[in-house]
Amino acid sequence: MIVDDLFDLVSYRVHPEPHIRLERERCQGCSHRACTFACPARCYTYSEEREQVDFAYEACLECGTCLLVCDRGALSWGYPAGGYGVRFRLT
Amino acid sequence: MTANSRGNEPTPTAFDAIVVGAGPAGTTAALALAQAGKRVLLLERGEYPGSKNMFGGMVAWCPAPEELLPGFWARAPWERAVTKRVLSLVGPGSTTSLVFQAAAEAEAPSVGAGWSSDRSLTGLTLFRPHFDRWYAEQAVAHGVTLLNGCRVEGLVKKGDRVVGVRVAGPDDVVEAPLVIVCDGVLSLLAAEAGLHPGVKAEQVALGVRALYLLGEEEVASRFGLVGREGATQEFLGCTENVRGGGFIYTQTETLAVGLVLHLDAVKARGLAPYELLERFVASPAVAPLLRGARLVEYSAHLLPEAGRRMVPRLETEGLLVAGDAAGFCYTNGLTQEGMNLAMTSGLLAGRVAAQALAAGEVTVRSLSRYRKALEESFVLRDLRTYQKAIDFLHHDRLFTVYPRVISRLLEDIYRSDGRPKARIGRLARRVFKGELSAWQLAADVFKIGRAFL
Repeated sequence: MIVDDLFDLVSYRVHPEPHIRLERERCQGCSHRACTFACPARCYTYSEEREQVDFAYEACLECGTCLLVCDRGALSWGYPAGGYGVRFRLT
Repeated sequence: MTANSRGNEPTPTAFDAIVVGAGPAGTTAALALAQAGKRVLLLERGEYPGSKNMFGGMVAWCPAPEELLPGFWARAPWERAVTKRVLSLVGPGSTTSLVFQAAAEAEAPSVGAGWSSDRSLTGLTLFRPHFDRWYAEQAVAHGVTLLNGCRVEGLVKKGDRVVGVRVAGPDDVVEAPLVIVCDGVLSLLAAEAGLHPGVKAEQVALGVRALYLLGEEEVASRFGLVGREGATQEFLGCTENVRGGGFIYTQTETLAVGLVLHLDAVKARGLAPYELLERFVASPAVAPLLRGARLVEYSAHLLPEAGRRMVPRLETEGLLVAGDAAGFCYTNGLTQEGMNLAMTSGLLAGRVAAQALAAGEVTVRSLSRYRKALEESFVLRDLRTYQKAIDFLHHDRLFTVYPRVISRLLEDIYRSDGRPKARIGRLARRVFKGELSAWQLAADVFKIGRAFL
């Protein structure tokens, strides 16, 4: 198994509107950037050039890890609209 | 109602109760209310119940749903009946395991091979997209109105009293005298109701799980299983320096393989959960079990892990909380229980709610019977019994030093290299040296004793 394979196996119905919003002004100066490694879906990445955390909601597994590891209140967090987001298929 | 809602369009005040979340807690609560003659609306944000659920584990046998649907476990869609539990301590050069095997009946009537003759020793592995959907269908057959694809945005209050839920825009409201929130571990609705201040990283664990397709016969032969028998295996010492453990659960033709990691430890150590998972599945203790298997799914979720310390206030005017949303999930290091607590709390919530509605008194006073019923049941009693064990599992050495020294000690005991052996006590002193002081060991033995004895 290689990590990249994992993320290709998740099925989603992506809503056009993000269900989580990151307020970048609040996360400037964060010392740990725990969202960038703790998020199990790798939704948060740190861009060295722009010196900021980038966030993409499409691959979100709706677990809440980012909400709980962020201590700057930089996330307005919610679940995707009804019927949208991750769906666990069965094999 | 929302544009994508399905089923009957409810009009305000058409329902006696609204249940949020069609997982095991919510569906049980809704079913109990419907059987008591109440009109119940069950709201589910997924496309269907279970579609949001990644559970790949085992439910401990639980009598609660049998009280509502006799023969429940014989009919419910489950994968394997677990009678074999393995606990493995992983060291750098060896793995040491303890295997529990309940005596199995060759042919249990109506269920099939694999059940223990004592069904309370039998756990069931299952897939929640199958199980939750089937369970909700049973509830619908008993009169529950299920609305899928419906996200609850918040509570509707009149003064201190919860009188309904908001479902889409600010004008979309469904009212009922009672709301039961079973909205999962983060429990945003219980927080909104003021029952808890918000879940904290140190109160939860992050589970990451990979599902491997192996085939029915291979699963059986690799774990020594007959018929529908199942096995579970837990691993300690496989999460590097992050507090947590690994697991393998057997389904009919798949294996759920993953890690459960304390979220505060993930944050402090700076390790990505999927990288730990990648190393876990490649480790000598796990890789042989997965040889030739195909990775088919990945998922992650949070689990409540703080025991009674995170149980919120359970009722307010017009509202009750059940399941993960109430923190009813724990591990004491040997057992992991959650779904059985969810179904039992849902049953008790539904019954107390039906009584309160029948008496026309949906107040904190009448609803507080729910907590009393939970205190008398195994739900809050087990959380109390194992609180010290739950706390002890937040002890770093348990996950790092102990699996390592126990493996080294057994390696020294089993080693044959042509040299004379030392007494076991002396070998033990040698492996503990540098890892752990006598004082630390004594303190840990004391804590373990206090936690479990």
